[in-house]
Amino acid sequence: MARTKFYDLNIHTVPEGKNKIEEMAGLAKHFGYAGIAITNPSNSCKPEKPVVLGGIEVFSGVELKTDNASKLHGLVGKYRQITDVIIVHGGSENINRAAVENSNVDILSNFGSMKDNGLNHVLAKSAQENDVAISFDLAEIIGQRGGRRVRALANFRKNLKLVRKYDVPFILTSNGNSYYDLRAPRELIALARLFGMTPEEATYGISTAPEQIIAKNRPSSNYVFKGVEIVNPTLYKISSEGDEQ
Amino acid sequence: MKVLPPTIRENKRYLAFELIAEGPVSRDELIREIFSAAGSLLGDLGSSECNIWLFAFEGMQGVISCNRENVCQTRAAIATVTHIKGKRVNIHILGISGTVLGATKKYLEGVDIFNPEEQSHINE
Repeated sequence: MARTKFYDLNIHTVPEGKNKIEEMAGLAKHFGYAGIAITNPSNSCKPEKPVVLGGIEVFSGVELKTDNASKLHGLVGKYRQITDVIIVHGGSENINRAAVENSNVDILSNFGSMKDNGLNHVLAKSAQENDVAISFDLAEIIGQRGGRRVRALANFRKNLKLVRKYDVPFILTSNGNSYYDLRAPRELIALARLFGMTPEEATYGISTAPEQIIAKNRPSSNYVFKGVEIVNPTLYKISSEGDEQ
Repeated sequence: MKVLPPTIRENKRYLAFELIAEGPVSRDELIREIFSAAGSLLGDLGSSECNIWLFAFEGMQGVISCNRENVCQTRAAIATVTHIKGKRVNIHILGISGTVLGATKKYLEGVDIFNPEEQSHINE
């Protein structure tokens, strides 16, 4: 059996975070990740180019932070062609709504907790239809203590219930800003199990779901358009040769 | 004192780990922080079930022992350690084994500790 490949699609580097891309990629590789996405906010710097650094894939990404829904759609359109991963930093009701209704958005993060604009059944349904992944930001469990962490865990439990019911794609991330924020894949799985995620679900969130996001945005040569792909290239060749005659 | 017969002894797991830290960390400080993190995340009850113990710590590597049934919770608790005496740290579990020897031989011997200062291998 091939080893599971792990991805963390929400990593910040200089100038947003504290470490350079090379340093974060080095640590991520050491931790056993197959790829990371650098997602610095769009208003602080330009998205980085995707590269392969010393055996680890570094995807280009962007985190969009705005208060205006129509502006968000504009930004998504602008960055779709040049980045692999688009994350929307949610929070307000209209931004959360706009993000899950735009199928060009990959991930919705920081969408708020239970009382203020958290994930609900309407957003969940919409996210499922448009294939927008929900991010479980485990930094909230790692970095916080006491009441805030209690709320974060309760909130994750509620979100997990919605995600299961509506079959919404989701990812796990340590949302790292520096060396000391990043956690290894197995640690993230252990943390996700605290709020009731099964090991299989956690593995999906850190491996399968990110893989699908990347695959969707980096279409293979056999890709035609959404839902149509050439599965048998030889057949295609024969038929196209036939057309020429 | 009589030693418990093997079948009645608690089954343990040994977690080999490396510490990525801003500066040197002493054993006592590390123990205090791990227990505090476990106490905060799992509570007194959960911590007692896990039976976390810093088995060995030398340089920037070590072995933590815990109950066999609670490896996952232990791992999560250890992952929530962020600071030791104001220094930022990151504890990375290298592997889990049923014996101390296994954990040491398989995961600690000859393994390079990740050093934030030297990043030359990736810049080559």
